[in-house]
Amino acid sequence: MLKNKKISKRAIGNLLNEWSQEFTVFVPSRERGVAVLSKWDGKDTSFTGWYRNTAQPAKANFFPPAEKMFSFQKDKEGYHVELPSSDEHKQLIFGIRPCDARALIILDMTFKDLYEDPYYLPKRNNMVLIGLGCTNPYDSCFCTSLGINPGESTDVDLMLTDIGDQFLIEEITEVGKELIAKASQVEEATEADEAEAREVKKASYNKVTGKVDTEGIKEKLLSCFEDQDFWEKVSAKCISCGICTFLCPTCYCFDINDELVRRQGTRFRSWDSCAFPVYTKMPMENPRLEKWRRVRQKVCHKFEFYPMNFDIIACVGCGRCIRQCPVNWDITQTLNSLPTRV
Amino acid sequence: MEDREREQRLHHEAKTLLEQGQVDYIIGYETGSLKFTTTPLITKDEDDTDRLVVNPFIVNNLSVYLTEVKGKAGIVAKGCDSRSIVSLIQDNKIAREDIVIMGIPCPGLIDLKKVELLLGKDRDELDNITREGDKVMITVDGKEKDFPTTEVLFDNCLGCEFPTPQEYDVLLGEPSFSITDKVASRARIKELEAVSQGKRWNFWREEFSRCIRCYACRNVCPACFCQRCFVEETEPLWLMPVPRWQDNLMFQVVRNIHVAGRCTDCGECERVCPMNIPLRSLTRKMYELVDEMFQYQAGMDKNAPPLLTAYEPTEAEDFMR
Amino acid sequence: MEQEVEWEPKLLGFLCRWCSYAGADLAGISRKKYPANIAVIKVPCSGRVDPLFIIKALRLGFDGVLVSGCYPGDCHYQTGNYHARRRLAITKKFLEYMGVEPQRIQASWVSASEGGKFTKVVSEVTKELKEVGTNQLFADGR
Repeated sequence: MLKNKKISKRAIGNLLNEWSQEFTVFVPSRERGVAVLSKWDGKDTSFTGWYRNTAQPAKANFFPPAEKMFSFQKDKEGYHVELPSSDEHKQLIFGIRPCDARALIILDMTFKDLYEDPYYLPKRNNMVLIGLGCTNPYDSCFCTSLGINPGESTDVDLMLTDIGDQFLIEEITEVGKELIAKASQVEEATEADEAEAREVKKASYNKVTGKVDTEGIKEKLLSCFEDQDFWEKVSAKCISCGICTFLCPTCYCFDINDELVRRQGTRFRSWDSCAFPVYTKMPMENPRLEKWRRVRQKVCHKFEFYPMNFDIIACVGCGRCIRQCPVNWDITQTLNSLPTRV
Repeated sequence: MEDREREQRLHHEAKTLLEQGQVDYIIGYETGSLKFTTTPLITKDEDDTDRLVVNPFIVNNLSVYLTEVKGKAGIVAKGCDSRSIVSLIQDNKIAREDIVIMGIPCPGLIDLKKVELLLGKDRDELDNITREGDKVMITVDGKEKDFPTTEVLFDNCLGCEFPTPQEYDVLLGEPSFSITDKVASRARIKELEAVSQGKRWNFWREEFSRCIRCYACRNVCPACFCQRCFVEETEPLWLMPVPRWQDNLMFQVVRNIHVAGRCTDCGECERVCPMNIPLRSLTRKMYELVDEMFQYQAGMDKNAPPLLTAYEPTEAEDFMR
Repeated sequence: MEQEVEWEPKLLGFLCRWCSYAGADLAGISRKKYPANIAVIKVPCSGRVDPLFIIKALRLGFDGVLVSGCYPGDCHYQTGNYHARRRLAITKKFLEYMGVEPQRIQASWVSASEGGKFTKVVSEVTKELKEVGTNQLFADGR
């Protein structure tokens, strides 16, 4: 039986330095008290002690809040379009959680399978994910209801489990295997390590207290789609900001805008939110002018329409929308109280 | 009055208002889905009024819902909130007779972010938080730790001048005094005032590099009630919806100037920002500027004209050529 | 970067149609010389100027903004200039706190008969802007 590997937490710094030769390494760090993924500074590995989950999800590394699509200019000869230089840098994200890793699989269905997005794909195809199992889920987490195990993931290249002073390393993909094969200070895991890892994973799973009953959720939502009273009640406190959308690892809507100055300009794409009142604004009308329609759309997109098209719920239970919402709107409460007629 | 007593009185008042048809909606706070949180409760149902709570975590400025609720509303308002309500009345966005204000004299609210920093633990890892006068007791891992209230109150609560609602129909409790620390409440502003111009601009440039333009600060603000915000204009395109620091900074500066004289320093914008940008260092400064230059404080007199619609024949001439 | 020509500040002027713009016209007709650094936008009243315009001008790369209107009491719309004065006072102080050089935001009262004053105002403002230097606030100049 192939044994798993392990590495001491103290050796992580060296490991990341080795990997930095080949990749741009991203690690969890704090910016003004907000946990984010940022470029590794070469020194600070304190995240091995405090890290829970970042405020902004890993999607920002593949689908950034603002992205230049191309620049253009017009002269006597006509229009000239210049694509941004493709960044050949390969990214390595250290410490991505199973929920965020699963979210990338969900995003792939839009950006890779359905249509090949030329901005998302180069980054996605060139990146390496080093997963890290959760040992301290938030009270707002409900990943287990979406079939995600906070301690396990096959959506990454290497899966790490926190066993005290060390990380257990499971090789998931060939890329991961190669990375570890070349790495120094990686040892073979002992039976005791494996046993402890199993305990840690089980404990993590049990610590997730948030629950959503997703059994037949598509049909339930379909049956109460027209129930305006329910949706009005549920949406009353929403303030239509973009926090839940922008911090959601599976939300992917974007807006495209041109910035023009005389004969030249740039086309940008930037994050957009279906919660904004102007999201569906068109010259003639706005089909989602009322807030309850937008809140209904958000819930149904994730739990009804996306499953209808891709056979997977577009939610990973990371709970960011719940704990960051200015008014503590809670999607699990909404889902668990659907006035279903099924 | 203890929180429990106030809650009971509130239940009674709110229920009566709905039963007698004096209002169509009750807007208040109920227990949130996460530990130590509350969430707005907007309801037409009398039975729901039993869920109303009063505790040190009733953070939201509920007046933001008054401009969208259809019908008469009974609203729970702390000191700062009541001034936002008055400001909305001054702006003619709501009529005084369409609302019943259930005022809560506020002893200040507990800032969970400060608590988390003090204890090195997240909100959901704490067992209990209670307040008794000028002390806050926090239990974590079974052990209790005491802190002076001034260390855990929101910065704007520390600078609060009017904890008792200015305008109300019912007052739930005795007029409150606030435990303040005015110096602490504007510590960051003081730091900024002391450094050079270039450094100040760089500070804001860095802060706004982290802004993701979620517009939570704008949407949570009762003073921002424009149907079409200037950021949503495309003809002309004032700024791109792209979260570049230049556009982010421009958005926030213009927003602050647009709400000048209507901002009551409720602090919600800073609390809700997911990137922890110190927005109060802008809003509070504007609040102070307006007071300094025109002796005007937002939301104190419902019959007064709003700041930017009023003028004195001679004022602020010093910079005019 | 070597500049072949000496740098000239770019000044954007919002002139109210009834007084200040007419004053500027008079300066032109009287052949009075004033620096060509100013680009003029005619507004119906100084009270039309939203602080948004001022900040947008800085964003676009103008080195300074001048808002000029009728004297208090003379506004064609009665009160527009009073509102402008309050708004400009707040805008200027607030932007100073943000870190914008105070010389970049300027305001004046110029009446329709004051061609001379207009000339003086533009000359003085241009001089101040030359001393303050180029607007690097928004770096990319857009």
